[in-house]
Amino acid sequence: MNRRDFIRASALAGGGLMLAFQATAQLDNTAASEEMLGDFIRITPNGDILFQFVKHEMGQGVSTAMAQIIAEELGADWQRVKIDFPLANMARYQNDRNGGHDTGGSCTIIYQWDLLRKAGATARQMLVTAAARQWKTTEANCIAENNFVTWKGTSRKLSYGELATAAANIPVPIDIPLKESCSYQIIGKPKNAKLVPDIVTGTIQYGLDVQLPGMLIALIARCPVFKGKLKSYDATQALKVPGVKKVFTTQPIAGLQTDAPYMPHDIREGVVVVADTFWAARKGKEALEIEWDEGPNAKYSTEDFEHLAERRAMHRTDPTGYIGDENAVSNLTHVRKTLRASYIYPHQLHACMEPLNCTVHMQPDGCEVWMGSQAPNLIVSELKRIYHFPEEKIKVHLFPSGGGFGRRYYPDMAVEAAFISKEAGNVPVKMIWTREDDHQANLAHLFQYMEYQVALDKDSNLYAWYEKEIRTYTWAAKYADPQLPSMAYDIPNIRFDFEDMIADELVHSSAWRGVVSHGRCYSECFLDEIAAELKKDPYEFRVSLLRHGRDIYTGDQYPVSAKRLLGVLTLAAEKAGWGKPLEAGRGRGIAICPYGNSYCAAIAEVTVRDQKLTIDRITLAADCGNVINPSGAANQLAGGVVWSLTALLYGGLPIRNGRAIYTNFHQNKLLRMNECPKIDVHFVDSDDEKPWGVGEISTPLGVPSVLNAIYAATRKRIRKIPLAANAFQV
Amino acid sequence: MAKIQLLINEKRYTPEVDPDMPLLWVLRDIVGLTGTKYGCGIAQCGACTVHLDGKAVRSCSIPVSTIGERKITTIEGLSRKGDHPLQLAWVEEDVPQCGYCQAGQIMQAAAFLKQNAHPSDEEITKAMTGNLCRCGTYQRIHQAIKRAATTTTTQPPR
Repeated sequence: MNRRDFIRASALAGGGLMLAFQATAQLDNTAASEEMLGDFIRITPNGDILFQFVKHEMGQGVSTAMAQIIAEELGADWQRVKIDFPLANMARYQNDRNGGHDTGGSCTIIYQWDLLRKAGATARQMLVTAAARQWKTTEANCIAENNFVTWKGTSRKLSYGELATAAANIPVPIDIPLKESCSYQIIGKPKNAKLVPDIVTGTIQYGLDVQLPGMLIALIARCPVFKGKLKSYDATQALKVPGVKKVFTTQPIAGLQTDAPYMPHDIREGVVVVADTFWAARKGKEALEIEWDEGPNAKYSTEDFEHLAERRAMHRTDPTGYIGDENAVSNLTHVRKTLRASYIYPHQLHACMEPLNCTVHMQPDGCEVWMGSQAPNLIVSELKRIYHFPEEKIKVHLFPSGGGFGRRYYPDMAVEAAFISKEAGNVPVKMIWTREDDHQANLAHLFQYMEYQVALDKDSNLYAWYEKEIRTYTWAAKYADPQLPSMAYDIPNIRFDFEDMIADELVHSSAWRGVVSHGRCYSECFLDEIAAELKKDPYEFRVSLLRHGRDIYTGDQYPVSAKRLLGVLTLAAEKAGWGKPLEAGRGRGIAICPYGNSYCAAIAEVTVRDQKLTIDRITLAADCGNVINPSGAANQLAGGVVWSLTALLYGGLPIRNGRAIYTNFHQNKLLRMNECPKIDVHFVDSDDEKPWGVGEISTPLGVPSVLNAIYAATRKRIRKIPLAANAFQV
Repeated sequence: MAKIQLLINEKRYTPEVDPDMPLLWVLRDIVGLTGTKYGCGIAQCGACTVHLDGKAVRSCSIPVSTIGERKITTIEGLSRKGDHPLQLAWVEEDVPQCGYCQAGQIMQAAAFLKQNAHPSDEEITKAMTGNLCRCGTYQRIHQAIKRAATTTTTQPPR
């Protein structure tokens, strides 16, 4: 990559340094492709370092980790670093994943790493130059650290705050050397998340907490059946509720939003109640009389859908990729025995603790939006597409959110709220999804049906692996490039088939923390089945298949490294005490996986007595390269396991006659403290100096590791979750 | 609509509201104290936990007209400077991820520690099981409560 950096500095009104860092990167092989990258720091005269955070903080800790990176190179006093949430700016932060607002795929830190270090180092150099000029000495005599520039060998020092305004007038230097990792004082050190003090005092503002003068509250009664439509409604009673101002339909904006630039979303038809308070809007909503045309899904249920998936799984499609002989499982000359199994990962709800919401104030020539969003860029592009406002007239205020998990990537909330604000007479409106709406008319995690078959040769070696994935969600082209299972096991013949079920959907599928890795990690259960067939220890069996140590190209962005998988597997086994005897009714299970370019292993320890399952302990080992914030990363890995255990025990989104059965948390249970196992997190001392993602890496592992542990304890194979619906008392 | 007298964080308010309105929405929509969170509306998640005369309650399920003279404490009023032992412990243990449920968790824990200053691990778990955390920070919540219980010890533990 041939990269030229442009850094602009300017004096802040009221004194101080504003550093805008932009780089134009040009890929050598695609001369026309040009990306803008950007970020900011502001240094105020009193010495506060205000990190301009343009990504989305949804609990994954990136605001703190990004600030650590820039603060390290800047030589900042960590206590003086603060997180600022500026307005979204499409011109400055273009949506190219690297520099844009877009937050997802566990990519934020890795894509920002170089940029933030350069930005910090450049600002530090400018402060040094400013000090050297003031003292009339050489820059080599000046050391910048801990928010001060000091003159070596003297007692003279100037604070960053005192230097900021002078530094802003210095020409921006280029090619500033970066620190050696051995001298890091902030990167790699456990730091408490910057937002914690505001969280524990209740002063942090999420999108749902926005208050504006004259603001109204809107709730929507959405069609309970996917693909259904509004037939008629009567608002007479609703309009009698004190505080209810207006009732109208969302039909003009409803439907599948396929014109969206990517990641199509769905807006269900509904009836809006606008009122002065949430409570009045809720009473008004309950008083609505609505008749729905339930459409093609009116008689469709989860069982029908799963049967359809099962039938699809039975036949072969064109492989999306293969190694060796694509039909090796059927090769009678070599094959002694075949094993076959299918696994289901059902739809899941995101259930973000902060219910979905968006506040919009429409005006004749533009609008303002207040929302915690993973993709404010999509909000801008959707509002531009629908209302033809120029980008600069769509002001999006960025907020942290009470959980995103992929759901807050989609811009449907902003489209709904903008429409409502306009119809309500261009007044500011906060549109809220009730928790019941969240359960009954929402996008959901994609469904996966995994079909596996393996062939063993006469020496009981793993000769061929066949895998077919059936899924309800794709990004764009369905695997335009060859794709293989996400694993690095030494198997001479591997084949991967894929089929989508988008046209047959029960609900609109979307990305859910961990996305496609969940179903695809069932390969770790099937591998356990093979080990059991061969009477091999699940750990030793994996080690034997990974010992080759090579990188396997599976069609994903990064190859899967057998060496790194082996590294996390070995560490987890050591820490979990793999092989130590357990009493009857107890068992351990392993699962390992890559995610992006991170690797993780989980070892679950369970007790099953009288069909009652207790998950005692989960030991995690991760290789995420350079860990920026060990405290935040450990929190992510532990939380990711809890995420998967909820899906394992209680998850799913059962649908009967088109309608979601669950209405709220009394039916859709989430894991609670009394069910939470002890979770130990260990990091491999990685050779990799780059910081790879940690937000999703552990999420696919809770399910297969616990299912394998249940098998070890009971000799019972479970191939479908949740366990609560599978004769297990949990 | 009715005028209702409330004592919130030692301050008097007299909002004119629907008497059925849950305390949660009076706090958030009328009084403007947004630290108390809406999570489920049916007392299943604990995000809306506040204190009534020092006892933890789910404000989403208490009609404002039933409160009477009882003193309401929200997360904003738990301590003057954000220095309640639990708030400090939450920072020390770096508990939160998204943070949305944490005000409710802290309010639940604060009422619990008042009744049981030296809880066992099991007692902590039992007291906190009504509060959901979708990010899965349970282990650190538990550690923070233990830390706060230890640091506030004025008499030897049982």
